[in-house]
Amino acid sequence: MSAPATRRATPSVFTSALRIFDLSLGQMLWSRRSVFLGLLLGGPVLLAIALRVVSALYASGFRINGAQAAGPSVFGMMIWLLYIRFIVPVLGVFYGTSLIADEVDDKTITYLFTRPIPRRAVLFGKFLAYLVCTVLLVLPSVMFVFFLIVPIGGSGIGEAFPALLADLAMLAIGLAAYGAVFALVGTRLKRPLIIGLVFAFGWEPAVLLFPGYLKRMTVAYYLQALVRHEMPQDSAVSMLLQVFREVPSIPVSLASLAVIIGVTLWLAGQAVEQREFVLDQ
Amino acid sequence: MTGEPGTRAEPIVLADHLSKWYGQVIGLNDVSVTLPPGITGLLGPNGAGKSTFMKLVTGQLKPSKGSITVLGEPIWRNPGLYTRIGFCPEQDAFYERMTGLEWVTALVRLNGVDDTEAAAMARRALETVELLDAANKKIGAYSKGMRQRVKMAQALAHDPQLLILDEPLSGMDPLARRKTIRLIKEWGRAGRSVLVSSHILHEIESMTANILLINQGRILAEGNVHQIRDLIDKHPHSVYIKADHTRALAREFLGHDDVLSLKFEGEAVVVQTGQPDAFYSRLTDLAASGELGAIHEVTSPDDNLQAVFQYLVKS
Repeated sequence: MSAPATRRATPSVFTSALRIFDLSLGQMLWSRRSVFLGLLLGGPVLLAIALRVVSALYASGFRINGAQAAGPSVFGMMIWLLYIRFIVPVLGVFYGTSLIADEVDDKTITYLFTRPIPRRAVLFGKFLAYLVCTVLLVLPSVMFVFFLIVPIGGSGIGEAFPALLADLAMLAIGLAAYGAVFALVGTRLKRPLIIGLVFAFGWEPAVLLFPGYLKRMTVAYYLQALVRHEMPQDSAVSMLLQVFREVPSIPVSLASLAVIIGVTLWLAGQAVEQREFVLDQ
Repeated sequence: MTGEPGTRAEPIVLADHLSKWYGQVIGLNDVSVTLPPGITGLLGPNGAGKSTFMKLVTGQLKPSKGSITVLGEPIWRNPGLYTRIGFCPEQDAFYERMTGLEWVTALVRLNGVDDTEAAAMARRALETVELLDAANKKIGAYSKGMRQRVKMAQALAHDPQLLILDEPLSGMDPLARRKTIRLIKEWGRAGRSVLVSSHILHEIESMTANILLINQGRILAEGNVHQIRDLIDKHPHSVYIKADHTRALAREFLGHDDVLSLKFEGEAVVVQTGQPDAFYSRLTDLAASGELGAIHEVTSPDDNLQAVFQYLVKS
């Protein structure tokens, strides 16, 4: 046996986070949670197939509340109502609240917390893994929906493609923002899943419907400024969407979302540094 | 620090009025202890406070009261110290889809070494625990003994100065047990320190004479506890054995005077012996010869140790 090792310099938070990312991504991608949420992401694709079939059967095109709806508008509505307002918060809640909790439940956290890395690097690395994993889950679903829906009504795929890239960027920002918020919930609060679901599907939709300052306490308020799609006009749905679209400017939204991500992740990191994680024997 | 056993070197662990409680439950109660370099055995029945002590030593828990230093430094929120410590936890928890080599390499990378060096260190560690042949198999397909050994590998891969092993022999077959005990003793002889916990006196005794007795959150005794040895014979020792041919094994055991009783539990046989040293030695020889088939798992419930502790507390 060789002589005892001398003390080696400890890796930085960034390097450590990248190594935790390497370790976690595969585990996260092939987890039961990813399989289940992958199936959930098949829902919009099935809906898009159904809409495509309906539009093919009725040559007059596709109408919402009597108004003619072009493919890009329907796609925009699906991005906002299905992805941003439902799927992205669901992914954020289920992954974000469990970034550390999964390792604690599986009792594998010991291996990570007895290595010469700052504990917050474990959270940051797992957050990165979450982001990549969820983007990889969402990407194929959105692409399928795009190619199925946009051509409805004769719209060109090519001219709508830049909007698709913007939508994907917006979804990634949404995943980052919700994931960071729910990572904080997961590291600081008890029953994080319930609190997360109440926040995403109780608090956010409720305060968005009313004028005032409370809506600034949501992620959706800032995300909706990034939705660039034209919606169908002269209908109850479009009126409702106009209420939703009482939004800040894009720079304000991007800056606010950056602050939300940065502050919540930092606070979550602090919680992981200071908290004891007692494993059940 | 040299880590040479027997010299007046810096203590590996220094606990000063250390207490830990979980709400109203006391895990460790006002423990003051100095562990010298070399191999130290932490012995106590389940629920005695061993795991709490191990978690405090490895910086997973923060002391409620008092202080603890490891290799001269406080351990809580001191990640740099983990470059000098290797920890093999008790729990049977892994990333099951990874291979042994991938898992150990990934953990060694967290020590700040590059990919190539990490892979080389992981291979060396797996070779040390004799698991190199199964290095590319998924951990999910490992036997209990292999899982124990891969846990050991991740603890020693970065060549730490202090190795902390929580119930390392649990579930190992007799041959793996013998090899692991030999490895721990070699580690001690090479100038490193080892803190190893167990609820089986015989196991600890085979590694070191320097024992720390813990029960109900308190240290009962420390040092070279020879008297404890005599208590073993007074309290029958139970051994749970899973093997291919338990009935043939039972017939073999019954021919020896030290076997007091035996019973079958499913595919296992539980033996009570008055002389665990002789029994384990014979069992290892049987496993090595293979004449009565493979012996897959050997564990010992802590009833006998509990009896010893009750005796100690009363006396």
